[in-house]
Amino acid sequence: MAGKSTDSDVPQVQIRFITKQQQFAVPDFPLSVPAPVIAVELNTLVNELLKESIDAAKFIEFDFLVCSEFLRSSLAEHLEERGVSTEQVIDVEYLEKHPEPEPQDCLIHDDWVSAVAVCEKWILTGCYDNTLHIWTTKGKHRLTIPGHTSPIKAVAWISLGEETGTFVSASQDQTAIIWDWNISGNSVDCVHVCKGHERSLESVGVNYDSSLMATGSWDTMLKIWSASTQDDDDGESSSKRTKTEHGKTRTPKVTLKGHKEAISSVKWSDKSEIITSSWDHTLKLWDSELGGIKQEIPGNKSFFDVDYSPLSGTLITASADKHIRLYDPRSTEGAVVKATFTSHTQWVQCVSWSTTQDYLFLSGAYDNQVKLWDTRSPKVPLYDLSGHEDKVLSCNWSNPKLMVSGGADNTVRIFKSKYAMC
Amino acid sequence: MGAPKKALKRKQGISKLKPDAESSKNEESNSDNAVDFGTEDLLAAELNGDGDSTDEEIEENEVPDSDAEQDPTIFDSDDPDESLIEFETGSEDNDSEELEFEEDDDVDDDDDEEEEEDEDEDENEEEEHENSESEGNTPPPKTNNKSLIKSSIGKEDSSNNSFSRRDNTVLDKMTERQHKSKNQIEQKSSNMRNTSRQKNSQKSVNTKISSIKPHITNLSSGADEYENDTSDEEDIRNTVGNIPMKWYDEYPHIGYDWDGKKILKPQKGDQLDNFLKRMEDPDFWRTIKDPQTGQDVILSEADIDLITRIQKQKIPDAQFDEYAPWVEWFTSEVMKMPLRKFPEHKRSFLPSKVEAKKVSKLVHALKMGWIKSTAELEKERAQKNKDPQFYMLWQTDDQPEEMRRIHKHIPAPKRHLPGHAESYNPPPEYLFDSKELKQWNKLKSTPWKRKLHFVPQKFNSLRDVPAYPRYIKERFQRCLDLYLCPRALKMRLTIDPEVLVPQLPSPKDLQPFPTIMSMVFKGHTDMVRSITAEAKGQFIASGGDDMTLKIWEVATGRCLKTVPCGGIIRSVAWCPNQAISLIAVAADKKVLLINPGVGDHLITSKTDQLLEIIPQSDVIVNERVKAAVQWEQTEGENWQKGIRGILNHFQNVKQVTWHGKGDYFATVMPEGQNRSVLINQLSKRRSQIPFSRSKGLIQCVLFHPIRPFLFVATQRNVRVYDLMKQEMVKKLLSNSQWISTMAIHPGGDNILVGTYDRKMLWFDLDLSTKPYQTLRLHGTGVRGVAFHKRYPLFASGADDRGLIISHGMVYNDLLQNPLIVPLKRLCNHESYNDFGILDVMFHPIQPWVFSAGADATIRMYT
Repeated sequence: MAGKSTDSDVPQVQIRFITKQQQFAVPDFPLSVPAPVIAVELNTLVNELLKESIDAAKFIEFDFLVCSEFLRSSLAEHLEERGVSTEQVIDVEYLEKHPEPEPQDCLIHDDWVSAVAVCEKWILTGCYDNTLHIWTTKGKHRLTIPGHTSPIKAVAWISLGEETGTFVSASQDQTAIIWDWNISGNSVDCVHVCKGHERSLESVGVNYDSSLMATGSWDTMLKIWSASTQDDDDGESSSKRTKTEHGKTRTPKVTLKGHKEAISSVKWSDKSEIITSSWDHTLKLWDSELGGIKQEIPGNKSFFDVDYSPLSGTLITASADKHIRLYDPRSTEGAVVKATFTSHTQWVQCVSWSTTQDYLFLSGAYDNQVKLWDTRSPKVPLYDLSGHEDKVLSCNWSNPKLMVSGGADNTVRIFKSKYAMC
Repeated sequence: MGAPKKALKRKQGISKLKPDAESSKNEESNSDNAVDFGTEDLLAAELNGDGDSTDEEIEENEVPDSDAEQDPTIFDSDDPDESLIEFETGSEDNDSEELEFEEDDDVDDDDDEEEEEDEDEDENEEEEHENSESEGNTPPPKTNNKSLIKSSIGKEDSSNNSFSRRDNTVLDKMTERQHKSKNQIEQKSSNMRNTSRQKNSQKSVNTKISSIKPHITNLSSGADEYENDTSDEEDIRNTVGNIPMKWYDEYPHIGYDWDGKKILKPQKGDQLDNFLKRMEDPDFWRTIKDPQTGQDVILSEADIDLITRIQKQKIPDAQFDEYAPWVEWFTSEVMKMPLRKFPEHKRSFLPSKVEAKKVSKLVHALKMGWIKSTAELEKERAQKNKDPQFYMLWQTDDQPEEMRRIHKHIPAPKRHLPGHAESYNPPPEYLFDSKELKQWNKLKSTPWKRKLHFVPQKFNSLRDVPAYPRYIKERFQRCLDLYLCPRALKMRLTIDPEVLVPQLPSPKDLQPFPTIMSMVFKGHTDMVRSITAEAKGQFIASGGDDMTLKIWEVATGRCLKTVPCGGIIRSVAWCPNQAISLIAVAADKKVLLINPGVGDHLITSKTDQLLEIIPQSDVIVNERVKAAVQWEQTEGENWQKGIRGILNHFQNVKQVTWHGKGDYFATVMPEGQNRSVLINQLSKRRSQIPFSRSKGLIQCVLFHPIRPFLFVATQRNVRVYDLMKQEMVKKLLSNSQWISTMAIHPGGDNILVGTYDRKMLWFDLDLSTKPYQTLRLHGTGVRGVAFHKRYPLFASGADDRGLIISHGMVYNDLLQNPLIVPLKRLCNHESYNDFGILDVMFHPIQPWVFSAGADATIRMYT
């Protein structure tokens, strides 16, 4: 392979292949390759090497990390961009390429799907026609749940058992409703109606042990509610009063004031920490126990969505521009923005980390595209998951195998994510 | 007695003159000395300069006194003419005499000799006179005489004097006749004596005169002087003074003597007497009449001699040796030691500073080569002549002609030098081939397009070259060109165009501002004429020609609600009061108050409640208002649609706008004449017509965000009314044809006015009523302008589909004028019926802008 392009005028670069995936290890000696070599050629080279060593019959596609970024252009350009000398031996890490997600299903709704949440094999969607839908990952519609009086803006699973599942939905009718779903009976029950916001709710987030949930709203308030289905915590008087009404009205445990404008997204980063993104160009980290702001990260555009990855401890945000930004809330000095991912052409509306891999995340934007990103490749996404015919309003990757997105084309698109490794 | 007398006489003259000339006693003494030692006296007189002439004078003066009465006429009279005439009449026959005297007048200096004689006579006469006549000397001369005599002569003179005194007294009593005869007799005798006596004195005089002569000739005007001077001495006998004697013609006397007695005229006698006299008297010819005394004076021999000498232009003194050896009294040689009493001034020993300066300047100039010494110049000239001399053949071409009369003369452009084509024997490639010739001929009608204005020709020799036929014509045309095309210096300004562009900050520094289109709100089926945003910025509402009001969610572009309004919606306005959820919609003649039912449920329900109840009021609605607008409560279907109230206007409503507090809203009906503007109060369901007279076609109105001002835009101007005081505060002159829309800066001091003639006018109310800046950013009429509530941004949309975002910073500092920087032109709408953007609006919080287009879309730019 190397001999194929050993023209004297082409500059040569010394590289050494390394990998963390032991099954694909190749001998650790430097190779001389022409500088303008591209990933595909390296791929063939590695496969040749592998053939020699482990006699693997299958042709495996690899991605190459040079200077901890994916090699997307030629090696020479890549090195030049990062200002790395071509005199030294360059370590080229290779890893098995993430397999392309395959479109699996398209769930057709009656109206815009503004919220989608996946839990194991159930897909919960919220629609602009004020209804919730439950689907199986196989694309089977299980239930339509009316109840809200305004478009639903967010949904979240609280718990899912063998028999019952609990989830919450937030709507523009200024309420969030906690539903109890009897799976076998396929009946749903409105457990609690969380009233307290003065304007339409934008998002809802449930903490990891499903004891609390937080909602953000256009009234700029962040409210923390109990997520349990039992109304043990509240006083009797209120529950008595609310029992007379439809379901049980729940009041917020804590109301946190701090944002100046609508809170667009609420995420729990651990048991007590809440991360919110707002239209007032800030991200805020709240301590739910103490009820105060821990940290504020200013941006320069309205934030539409934020997601926290417990694996890497970083944040990705979608804001009122075409960029996805990676924030590290732990770093205090220097630029808070660690990376900017630009490929979308319109507002990015939703982002979602992979729950299993530190580098991967999903984004949905108003340019009808859902993109799969690797944080090591900021310029080019790994894959474009096209299929939506209108704005993508929400996406979810809670189930590592399924990438789900809902859009203004009244559909939910499901892509099957094949596992690349492990 | 004679000789000393004469000397005395002389002295008298001298002394008399001296006071006139210098009046110095030294000289008197000198003259005194002169008497004593003959020559010395003369010398002194000469030194005085006037000496000899004085002598003459005296003699002249004294002549009449002594012998002949006619003498004075000659010398004494002021008027020579007069005296002449007299003389003539008196003694016509004495031609010679006449001549003599005339000459005497003219050339005083020459008759010295005669005068000398006269002198002698005079002296005699004087004596006699003194004896015979009592007239005597005037006191001053007397004293003069006295003093002189005293000082110089002594005894002699004193005796003489006393004698004369005596004479005076004696003579008084004598008759004229006697006197005259006596005189004559005396004169004669004296004359006789004189001749003998004269000699000693005259000698000296002669020498004197000879020496003086050159001086006298110089002093030509001296004679007159003496005549005048001696005048007072003339009248020693006749005291009338120096007057014309003709005054006494009619009197028997001729004047008065010293004692005041009349001097009688002598008997004239008739012709016969005269004749007899002439016949008898042998001295008649020498008798002249003294006009002063009227006496006849017989001239002595000496007198005659003198006169004749003068007539002959000889030196009057016969004894004078003209050719006497020259005594060099003053040497002509330059003496070594100057005859100066005082030493040289100090500065004559010191070098002059001024000179030193001049010299140093010259030296410097020499050093620098600015000037050259004559030697150097000479050298150069020689060098020049030696070298071969060259000159520029084309010098006149290089240097501009000197045209001094023409100010800033620009020389005529030079003609090109002839090229090869012009040669009589051009290289063959310059000769036209047939194609080129054809081309050349083709351009006959437009000869200036030809490459050459002639056809190159080839001749074998210069001899064969004919005269150039177009020479005269071309010369003439060249002259015409030069004459008819005035040449002027073109002042080309080398101004960098960049410099002219005002220093504006880079748009990059003025972020954030909308740059790209982010959302398209699709749903309308026809032109969207108006948009409005909810105060929080979560929703917007729009209305247009499809007669529906649509409520949109900003974040997603979702149309949440559609309310059919039953008329073309020309204006929508969300109530700025956040406690009320209400949109005012102007649909044709109706203004609908619509509760969109979005946002806070509590507020929407409260709004419904509020509008359900009709407030009771006692105020009787004005007929005029009633005709213009009626409030209508809605029920049933309309209520279901969200319509909570209807205001039925009598004309199409073009605009509806809320006051900042959300209770009042104004509606505009451009065709409403004097009821174009209505101000409606929501809480009382009441309307008012603020203006009774229409000021023109009202385009739009605007409430001031803070103060109770109402801006009313007619076609040309914007009027600012104070609603509290109910008066006009200001009139903003737009200077444009037709105002379309306006927007007010949230600060309230700046107004942006869009016009259909493509302009945007920024009025700073603090500055003037004229636009602070006129922005011509659009190619067509401006339809919508808007200010951002928080960011220093404004936007404008026009029929050219362009939405222009500008930075409009208003500073709190009143001294700083607003900064206006156009930032971005966004052109995403499609044109529809020549309409582009119909309305422009900013997001109330975010730096996003919305434009409502005729293509039935609303676009949001972020």
